[in-house]
Amino acid sequence: MLYWVEKNVSGFYLFHGYSRTYGVTNMQSGVVFEFKEFAVQDGPGARLTVFFKGCPLRCQWCHNPEGLSSAPQLMVSRQSCLQCGACQSVCHAQKENTSCDLCGACVRVCPLGLRKIAGQRYTSQELIRIIRRDSDYYRALDGGVTFSGGEPLMQPAFLSEVLDGLQDIHTAIETCGYAPSETFLSIVPRMSFVMMDLKLMDPAAHRHYTGVDNEPILRNLRSLCEGDTPFVVRIPLIPGVNDTKENLIASARFLQGARSLQRVELLPYHLTAGAKYSMLGKEYSPDFDPAQPVRTYTDLFEQYDIRSVVL
Amino acid sequence: MTDRIQTMRTFFVTDRAHHAHRRPAGDERCLAVNFAKEGLSDVRRASLRLQHVLETETPVVFPWERIAFLRTIRTIPAIFTAEEEEQLKAEHRLHERGDVSNICVDYSIFLRAGLPGMLDKVRRQREEFLQKGAEEQAAYLHEQEEILLAVQNLTERYRQEAQRVGNTVVEETLGALLSRAPQTLLEAMQLQRIIHFTMWCGNNYHNTLGRFDQYMRPYLEHDLQAGILDEESALELVEEYFLSFNRDSDLYPGMQQGDNGQSLVLGGKNADGSDGFSLLSRLCLQASLELRLIDPKINVRVSKDTPLSVYQLGTELTKQGLGFPQYSNDDVVIPGLIRLGYKPEDACQYAVAACWEFIIPGRGMDVVNIDALPFASLTRKAIVDHLSDSADFETLYSHVRDGIRAEADRLCDNTRGLYVYPAPFLSLMMEGCVERGEDVSRGCIYNNYGFHGTGLSTAADSLASIAQYVYQEGRYTPQEMLEAMETDFAGREEMLHTLRYDAPKMGNDDERADSIACRLLEDFSLSLEGKHNDRGGIFRAGTGSAMYYLWHGELGATPDGRRANEGLAANYSPSLFTRCRGPVSIIKSFVKPDLAKVINGGPLTIELHDTLFRNQDSIDKVAGLIRSFILLGGHQMQINAVNRETMLDAQKHPENHRGLIVRVWGWSGYFVELDREYQDHIIRRMELAM
Repeated sequence: MLYWVEKNVSGFYLFHGYSRTYGVTNMQSGVVFEFKEFAVQDGPGARLTVFFKGCPLRCQWCHNPEGLSSAPQLMVSRQSCLQCGACQSVCHAQKENTSCDLCGACVRVCPLGLRKIAGQRYTSQELIRIIRRDSDYYRALDGGVTFSGGEPLMQPAFLSEVLDGLQDIHTAIETCGYAPSETFLSIVPRMSFVMMDLKLMDPAAHRHYTGVDNEPILRNLRSLCEGDTPFVVRIPLIPGVNDTKENLIASARFLQGARSLQRVELLPYHLTAGAKYSMLGKEYSPDFDPAQPVRTYTDLFEQYDIRSVVL
Repeated sequence: MTDRIQTMRTFFVTDRAHHAHRRPAGDERCLAVNFAKEGLSDVRRASLRLQHVLETETPVVFPWERIAFLRTIRTIPAIFTAEEEEQLKAEHRLHERGDVSNICVDYSIFLRAGLPGMLDKVRRQREEFLQKGAEEQAAYLHEQEEILLAVQNLTERYRQEAQRVGNTVVEETLGALLSRAPQTLLEAMQLQRIIHFTMWCGNNYHNTLGRFDQYMRPYLEHDLQAGILDEESALELVEEYFLSFNRDSDLYPGMQQGDNGQSLVLGGKNADGSDGFSLLSRLCLQASLELRLIDPKINVRVSKDTPLSVYQLGTELTKQGLGFPQYSNDDVVIPGLIRLGYKPEDACQYAVAACWEFIIPGRGMDVVNIDALPFASLTRKAIVDHLSDSADFETLYSHVRDGIRAEADRLCDNTRGLYVYPAPFLSLMMEGCVERGEDVSRGCIYNNYGFHGTGLSTAADSLASIAQYVYQEGRYTPQEMLEAMETDFAGREEMLHTLRYDAPKMGNDDERADSIACRLLEDFSLSLEGKHNDRGGIFRAGTGSAMYYLWHGELGATPDGRRANEGLAANYSPSLFTRCRGPVSIIKSFVKPDLAKVINGGPLTIELHDTLFRNQDSIDKVAGLIRSFILLGGHQMQINAVNRETMLDAQKHPENHRGLIVRVWGWSGYFVELDREYQDHIIRRMELAM
């Protein structure tokens, strides 16, 4: 039964022989929904990107809806489903008329492998071990690891403990910046590189399209602008929402003079953003017209001495 | 690309306007009947057939071209009657169509001598044989002389036609080639065009192009020095030349349209340690990038010393979706070939056959794809026969190893009595054939046979599943496993899921599977060691699959969760349904075996989604990925930039995707021209794209 113990209590305790008290009670754990090898758009060099589950924002254009909820979720790809009924025949929740408890029985009987549970809990040491597995490889390609999501700052204690074990590795974060100042300041300056989103300058519009106030975001961004950590600002260009001159000028003015800002990256909206909603049983119904062409004002940032690029 | 090249591309590739000059298909046996009646020797037949085709060819010269020669004859007549062929098959081992194919001649022999020089050489050698009373050899050289005269005659008729249509460039080039060896790049390319054209007219196929940038380099340097060309005009000339490989290629035989073996090698370490990558190599990559055509197919030889910039250029080309360049690692291939008995100076000269097999230009009459060892079915058979009576994994594995040995013995035995149709024209460019007065089909310096190895990942994964779930965990009894395989997992959905998705897989950097793959390859290599074929050559183990991956896939369910008759991976790649973590894990898995020991050829293929090639920054990173495979000891690699949606649309609306190019196994072809089963297999592969 060694295998079971190893998997379920903690590899840390077993492999390193620390006291049980230290290994178990002090160790943080967190939920991750995806690992992406060889990510090329998530920071310098080639990187492993770790997607943390859970996000405080509800952006209407979100293309990673499985990153929103902090809890693991069942995802079902319905397009090629044969309607064979195997999943229903093993579903105890359906029989007992209760809600899904993610037992995973249906995942294991689907003949086409169309079901999965998005989100798995890892201890900080488990995650460190996964990241370290290929860290030499990524170092050779001038990269490292990137924490993305969801929003990594939603799990600060876990992330902090993971960072403790990665001090020799190039670390980067993709964050929406919506976090208490003390959280932001305790984590973000520890990163080698930061990619922070700036979605909308107008507070009311920000509330409408993302569900939250932009005040904490701007406050954190200000501290980033005044700090030494190299960073880029990412602006998803959503047609008719924030691809206006006014919004981009306001963004540029806010960022003007930030000494560690490397560039602004503009990410035009993709029509495929809604692809995963049906897999979660959700509907993608944004409050804007996704088919509208996206406007890109490429030279606008340059007028404020800020490099910009459309990705 | 200049407007001129664009216009030519439209003419030859898009509109195929030159097809108007093609004659209707002829009678394949029009010559063979008389040959048989007269009881002619095979060499005489091959010679007469080639002369006949060259004589009946009608010169076509377009006023705007600089490099001429166009096939108008569709059908190359056979040299044997159908009955004779049956007889030959009964008495001998014939390989594929029977003709010399898939080797690489040494073009530099012909280019350096020129047409008149070749004629002189053959005549002189013939005199020598006559004086020595070596009648047979003299007669053989007489055939070669006749062929060269027919080539000369056709060249002269082309020259006259050029004159008639007022194409002075072609007229002058051909005039020069009739009187001396080529001096300029244009002349060298025109002569190689004539040589290559003649090879196909002799029914030889998979006529590869070898180290193009090595043998053409002196001519480019001459022109640059003489001020005849600059970089820009040289690029245009290379593009015009590359276009010529797409004129007649639909007439070249192959398994599928596109499988024509026009592979070309760039770069590589030379025997003196110098790097063979030159300006010409770069121009070739640039030309291929701009033309976006399936021919010629580009291979790049690299090593630990190759700068990232070469991979960056290559990745720009990969981005076009052509399925090439294919990279091979000199640091692994050259020692591997030396280990097999190739001389170091020859090993350094290696080129790539039609797909990926390593061959020596001008010296190798190797038959590199003579058969294939089916790892998956051998493993399955050992499991079916011995899982119940094997107390532990090692016992079971010993049966797999016995199976590999027995199959290797059988494959080796089966190569006996190889008979190949003579190829007197190709023999002019193969070491020692003229000097010995002997045809290359009877042998050359190297006469080795290569075996592919198919279904490696399926075999390794199957054994890893059994080691894990039967022997280690005891989750399934041997009986359960065998029944599941027998019944194709009917009613065992959960077991199928475990085996398919949870079990250790090659491609996930998982020692449990990778270590077995290492053993399988090692045992394949060992099973051939010390064996000789009846031409005095040895046997080479490899990691390729060629079309065998479809044939060998007709196999019952396997313990890796592969359902009955589900396809095998092409070449050296993860199983089709493996959920790989990503390209890094794949690379780390696939560099573990000692690949120098299985160096017949066969690349790791990785499909990357085309968004990974979006901008210069990401292209540079992909270049780093490829380089990492080489630095970690990989032997051969090929990357595809793919988009599955595009292919699905191409199946529905082929008319909108006539130019869509895909990699099939060792070659690239137009997606819409492939048979449906190949299209479907490629789409399955795409599902794994990262």
